[in-house]
Amino acid sequence: MTDYFEVHARDGAARVGELRLEEPRSTPALVDDVLEDAGSLWSADRAMPEGDDSRLTVLPHRGFPGGTAEEVRESFAVSYPDVDYPSVAVISSEGAADEGTDAYAVSDVQSITGHGAALVEAIVNVREAVPADTAVYFSGVATPRNVAVLAYAGVDLFDETAAVVKGTQGRYLTTDDAYFLEDLEELPCACPACRKPREEFTREDCVEHNRNALAAELGIVRRRIRDGRLRDYVEGQARQDQWLTAAMRELDSQWGYLEERTPVLRDAQIDAATGDTIRRVEIQRYADRVTTRYRNRFSNPLVLVPCSAAKPYSESQSHRQFHDAIQWRAHLVSMTSPIGVVPQELETTYPAQHYDTVVTGRWSEDEKRFVSTVLRRYLERNAYPEIIAHVPDEGYRDIVERVEAELDLGVTYTVEDHPTDTESLANLQRALSGELKYSKREREHNTVRAIADYLLGDGAGDDLFEDIQTTSRYPKIQVRDSEDTQLATMVPQYGTLSFTLEGAKRWVDGEAPTKRVEIDGFVPHGSVLAPGIVDADEEIRVGDEVVVEGPKAFGVGRAEMFGREMAESTRGVACEIRHVEEK
Amino acid sequence: MSHPTPDVYEQGKGMDAHNQVMREIRSRKEASYDPHEPTRVWLDEDNTPDGVKRSLTIILNTGGCRWARAGGCTMCGYVAESVDGGSVSHEALMDQIDVCLAHEAENGDEPADLIKIYTSGSFLDEREVGAESRKAIADTFADRERMVVESLPDFVDREKIADFIRHGVDTDVAIGLETATDRVRHDCVNKYFDFADFEDACAEAAAADAEAGGDADAGIKAYLLMKPPFLTESEAVADMIASVERCAGVEGCHTVSMNPCNVQRYTMVDDLYFEDGYRPPWLWSVAHVLRETVDVDAIVVSDPVGHGSDRGPHNCGECDDLVQKAIKDFDLRQDPSVFEQVSCECERTWEVVMERERSFNQPLTH
Repeated sequence: MTDYFEVHARDGAARVGELRLEEPRSTPALVDDVLEDAGSLWSADRAMPEGDDSRLTVLPHRGFPGGTAEEVRESFAVSYPDVDYPSVAVISSEGAADEGTDAYAVSDVQSITGHGAALVEAIVNVREAVPADTAVYFSGVATPRNVAVLAYAGVDLFDETAAVVKGTQGRYLTTDDAYFLEDLEELPCACPACRKPREEFTREDCVEHNRNALAAELGIVRRRIRDGRLRDYVEGQARQDQWLTAAMRELDSQWGYLEERTPVLRDAQIDAATGDTIRRVEIQRYADRVTTRYRNRFSNPLVLVPCSAAKPYSESQSHRQFHDAIQWRAHLVSMTSPIGVVPQELETTYPAQHYDTVVTGRWSEDEKRFVSTVLRRYLERNAYPEIIAHVPDEGYRDIVERVEAELDLGVTYTVEDHPTDTESLANLQRALSGELKYSKREREHNTVRAIADYLLGDGAGDDLFEDIQTTSRYPKIQVRDSEDTQLATMVPQYGTLSFTLEGAKRWVDGEAPTKRVEIDGFVPHGSVLAPGIVDADEEIRVGDEVVVEGPKAFGVGRAEMFGREMAESTRGVACEIRHVEEK
Repeated sequence: MSHPTPDVYEQGKGMDAHNQVMREIRSRKEASYDPHEPTRVWLDEDNTPDGVKRSLTIILNTGGCRWARAGGCTMCGYVAESVDGGSVSHEALMDQIDVCLAHEAENGDEPADLIKIYTSGSFLDEREVGAESRKAIADTFADRERMVVESLPDFVDREKIADFIRHGVDTDVAIGLETATDRVRHDCVNKYFDFADFEDACAEAAAADAEAGGDADAGIKAYLLMKPPFLTESEAVADMIASVERCAGVEGCHTVSMNPCNVQRYTMVDDLYFEDGYRPPWLWSVAHVLRETVDVDAIVVSDPVGHGSDRGPHNCGECDDLVQKAIKDFDLRQDPSVFEQVSCECERTWEVVMERERSFNQPLTH
C-alpha cells in the first residue's frame, strides 16, 4: 500500500516514478536531501519518528549486511508499523517481504553490487516480494558508471554517498571509469566543479564533480526510460565495467522477471547495434510468438527474402522489386537479424518495423544460429508446397542451407549475384510461373488473423475471425462480421488490433484466452486507476489489448501496467479505456 | 547477579539464533590442542596504575570457553574444543605455567613485573581452573608486582582475589565487558551478562581491595570491543565513548582497554566479512575515542591487533603504521597530543563514513 510513490512510465524493469513528497521528485533519483533515518535498532531502542510529507522517513530497522545467516535474520526481524507519512523499510534481499511502506532500502547492497549474478538475484528477489508501485532504494553504491544498469535492473532510489566517499579517496568518477585523480593531466569534464585549473582541483572539488556526474547520468537515465530506449543505452553503457555487462546478460536470463515488465509495443526504435540485442525480450518474444502462435494460412509457395533497411519492408525499394516479380503468387517471409523471420502479415507488428540494425554484411555466428533456429522452428510448424530462397550469399544463404539440411527440405535458390539484379529477379519470376495469385480479400483476412494469433494465442485468428469481411485499405484494415458490425481495426504503427465492444465480446466468448481486468462497480471513462481494479490477468503486458469488466460496465482498452502490477498497485493508471458500455 | 552457566544463558530468540549459527561455524574448524602447552605466551610492556611495566602475557589452555561451546561470541575465534571432556588437569595446567616461565627466562633479561593470564574463558571459574591450580599459580607468581587474570564477572569474588592479594601482589581482574550497552552486548556480540553484573564484579574487587588494606591493590580492567558486527562506524564510536565513560565511572574499575574488532576465522564476523558485509573499524575511530575520553578517571588504552590489514582495524593503507604508533604511544603516556602528529587525506573519507554509513549501506569502504 503506497500513497507516496507512483509509476508513470515503464521500460522493462526500469520505471520513471514520482516520489510524491511535498515537493515531488521524478525517479530514478537521488534522495539524500529528503531522507530522514530514524536509526538502527541494533545500537539502541528508537522512538517512532514523527515523519511528514516533506521527506522520506526510514523507519527504525535492523540492517542485515551480506553474509548474515538466515536464523539471525529471522530472529532479529523487525516488524514495521503502519504510518501515514512517506516511509522506508529496510529489508535484506534474501528475506524481502511486503512491509506496507512506500520504499524499501536493501541492507545487503554492498554485497550485491559489483557482481552481476548477485545483483540480478537480489533485485529479482526484492522486486518479486514488494508491491510493484513501491520504490527500491540502493544506498551507498551509485556511481555515474553503474547507475544506468542499476536503474535498468529495477532500482528507483539512490544517494550520493558512494560518489562522495570515492571523491574523498581521490577517485574521479565518470560514466566510463573511476580515474585516480592524481593520474589525470586534464579534467575530462566541463561541469561547474571542473571549471578550474587542474592544479587547483582538490579532492573536495572531486567530490563535487562526482555528485554532478551522477546527477547528470540519472538525468539521461530518466530521459531514456521515458523514451523507451534505456536498453539501447545500457547495451553500450554496460560495456564500461565487466560486472555491468554480466548483470545485463544475467538479467536477460531472468526471462520471467524481464518479460513480465517489457511492453508489447513502443513508439521507440530498437537499435540493434550489439550482440546482446538478440537476447532482448522484444526480440525473443517476437521469435517465440511467430514460431508458436502464428500460422501460415496461404497455400502458395514460400519465398524467403532478405530484410530491408526501410520499414515496413514492403515500402522499401528492394521489396517493391521482389513484389513485382512475385505478384501475390507466394507467401513472403523476410529473414533478418536480429528479429529472425518476419511473415508478410506481421511486417508492421512491433518490433518488426521498429528496429534498425548495423549493416555490414558480416554475420556473427550468434546471429546465424539465432536466425536459423527461428527459421527451422518456423518451417517445422508451417508446411509449404515449395520453398524459394531469394537471398544473397552473405549470411542468409548459409542459414537457409543449414535449415534445408536439418529438415531435409528442397529449396530453390534464385539469386545469382544480388537479389535485385535483373537476372535474379527473372529467376524468381520464373520459379513462380504457373502459380496462382491469392486475392486481396484472402490477404487481408489472413493478415488480421495472423495478428490475432500473434497477440492472443495459437488459433485465435481462426477462432475470432472465422467469418469476417474486411474494409478500408491495408494497413488500416477494419474487421467486420457478416452483418457489417465492426469488430476491430488494425493499428498500423504497431501491427496490432484494437477491438470494438462487439469484437471484445467475441473475444470473451471465444476459445482464445482473454486478457481480463476486473473492476469495481463503476463505469470507467478515459483511464482506469489502480485502486478501482479488483483483479487482473497475470498474462497482461503493457500495451496489451484488455477487456475491462465489472458489475456495472463492460469495456475494452489498452493496458498501461502489467497484470500483476494492476492487481497490486494502489496508485497510477492501469489501463486506458477505448470503448465502454453500462451494464 | 545473573546466571553463570551456559545452559541458563540460553534464553531469547536472538541468542538462540546466534548460538545456532556460531555452533555451525565453529564446527567447520578442525584443530587439536595439547593440554600441556599454553595457547600462546609473549613478553611486552603495559601501562598500569603504577606506570609502565614489563609484562608476561599467558593465554592458558583450559579447555576453551564454555560459552563458546554453546555458540558464543560473534567475533571470537579463540576456541579450543579438542580437549576431551572440556577440562584440563591440574598437572597439565602447571606444565603450561612451566612452559611460560621457560619462555620468559629465555626471552627476557629478568622476570616481568606484570603477569597477565587469559584463558579465553574465566580463570576464576573453578570448572576451568580449580581452586588448587589457582592457588598454586598465585604462589608461583608471588614475587611479582602485579597480576591480571581474566574472568567473566559472575566468577569474581573477593576470596578468589584474596588468593593473589595475600602475597602482596596487586591484582586486577580483566573482564571482557565488550560494551556498557546491554543491547549491543546481547544482540551484536551475543554475550549474556549485563552491565549490572560488571558493576557487581567491580564492587567485589573494591571490597577485596579494602580488605587488603595497604598491602596490595585489587581492581578491575574492563575490555571493550570496538565495532561488533551490525554496527556502523559512527554507532561503534558512540558506543565506545559511552562505554569508556560508564566503565570509568564505576568504583573498582581503574583501566579500560578498548580494542578494535578484528576478523578471526570461524566466526560470524568472518562470514559477514567474506560476503562484504563487515569492515573492521578505522584506526581513526580508535584515535577519536581515545581523544574524546581523555578526561575520564581511568587509564584508557587500546591494542589494535592486525592493524593495517584488511582483517584488522585499518585506515587507507598509507597511514596505518603511523596511527598505530600514535595509539601505542598514547597507551603508555595517556597524552592526546600524540594524535596531532598524524594526519592523512583518508581522515576526510573517515569523516564521510562516520556521517553517511547506515545499517542499510554498510560497509561503505573496504
